[in-house]
Amino acid sequence: MDSFFEAISKNSLLLYALLAALVASVVGGIIGSYVIVKRIAFISGSISHSVLAGIGFFLWLERTQQIAFASPLQGALLAGVASAMLIGWIHLKYRQREDAVIAAVWSVGTAIGVLFISQTPGYNVELTNFLVGNLLWVSPQDLIFLSILDIAVILTCYLLHYRLLAICFDEDQARLQGLSVNRLYLLLLSLIAVTVVLLMQVVGIMLVMTMLTLPATVANLFTNKLSRMMGISILLSMAFCFVGMFLSFHLDWPAGATIALVAGITYAITLLAAYRKK
Amino acid sequence: MNEPKLAVSVKGISFGYTKDEPVLKNVSFDIAEGEFVGIIGPNGGGKTTLLKLLMGFIEPWEGQISIFSKSATSYPNDIGYVPQALHYDRTFPISVIDLVLQGRLSRLSWTGRYSKQDREIAHHAIDQVNLTDFCDKSFGTLSGGQAQRALIARALATEPKVLLLDEPLAAVDVQAEADFYEVMHKIRKNLTIIMVTHDIQAIIQHVKRVLCVQGSVMSLEPGQVCEHFALGLYHFPLILTPEQHFAKTNFN
Repeated sequence: MDSFFEAISKNSLLLYALLAALVASVVGGIIGSYVIVKRIAFISGSISHSVLAGIGFFLWLERTQQIAFASPLQGALLAGVASAMLIGWIHLKYRQREDAVIAAVWSVGTAIGVLFISQTPGYNVELTNFLVGNLLWVSPQDLIFLSILDIAVILTCYLLHYRLLAICFDEDQARLQGLSVNRLYLLLLSLIAVTVVLLMQVVGIMLVMTMLTLPATVANLFTNKLSRMMGISILLSMAFCFVGMFLSFHLDWPAGATIALVAGITYAITLLAAYRKK
Repeated sequence: MNEPKLAVSVKGISFGYTKDEPVLKNVSFDIAEGEFVGIIGPNGGGKTTLLKLLMGFIEPWEGQISIFSKSATSYPNDIGYVPQALHYDRTFPISVIDLVLQGRLSRLSWTGRYSKQDREIAHHAIDQVNLTDFCDKSFGTLSGGQAQRALIARALATEPKVLLLDEPLAAVDVQAEADFYEVMHKIRKNLTIIMVTHDIQAIIQHVKRVLCVQGSVMSLEPGQVCEHFALGLYHFPLILTPEQHFAKTNFN
């Protein structure tokens, strides 16, 4: 049997898979850091599960209605941004019951996705791939699409970093300084939606939250500066993907679950080490 | 001699969070430029609501609020706001300099970077509150008093005309309180300061006027403040009767 590195050089599918994982790690590290410091992991979980509605609908359009331009990735992006806007609106206008309504968006989004996929040929395989991920699915076109999304998110965060930092740390101060706090909040949720679509390719919808939160949470243990936290988080995320893919190749385990497991074990070890240090 | 300008003008405002239950009713007061005013009152009396109104976060049902003749809701306004340090997540990864630079957010260019001038102003503000050696330290590692001074530096970096402080001395020790008032007296020049506090005995030693908020707002001189308030025992009427005031003055 070839080693992991030999397989990468011979098999373009594996190379695309690794590249997709590394591309997703960059935005995962950046946006995941905002998610952790703003404490909106639950909201992000709802967005990540709602994308299944778009995937299911676009897959149904593509397979049963023969609409050629509809791809599951585009469906995921549309549904992600739409649910981000809906959840953002709930957060801004309906705070008393925010958690319950967000949980409803989470489950209804998933339900819509499951229903459409159930009406689409190839139901079982497609659903499993979307839920737990299948990196070997990534095509060169997908990789280009993912890279464009990656660059768009990085550029937006570069230009708005101090403004996003302000709304994460202290919304009142940001408002006094004349920032459009609500618009920035909705933008942040949209960036989370785009990141979910990228990470979904790597670990699947069910495990997106692992990659969105764990690298940043571990990084937060090592630094007191948000920009540094993002850098460490990107490196950790890349390392989790690489080690996870390496192990999954040699152990013949599903890549997404292995990556998530590597991230989880690393988090547990660093947490224990941090407590022992105290 | 020139009359001091009007810094804050509040005319006939009423506000409540639910219909028919006003928290503040027909409130009017003025604060002149350069005044250091304390705001006291019982919990639920409307102090926080009054602050939110002054900052323009909420709009009154009726009446008008202006800060140096400008509407309170026209951002960025001339207010520097210092909240309680206790409200912040101490695990948040932010350094003191990045925190203070948030006072310059309204000046950020489209590229989202702070200018050299912004950084100089932020460093000057940090110097003013005696935190020069803590510039690159994490906000979360500062003591309660230091964290409060870092938040004052952030407010100063906005180059405000009015400084609003919301219970800055909650949960700080005696030394931190002394440091705080030292900073306050250092920065007072050309600044109108409005400070909400429960520590009435301390504030009346530093201000010439106290606004007591309990549904309405009453302007008192420090000598008129009943010592019961210092114990948290607010009562109606809020001020001493002329006889009580006379007795207190003579006794003292």
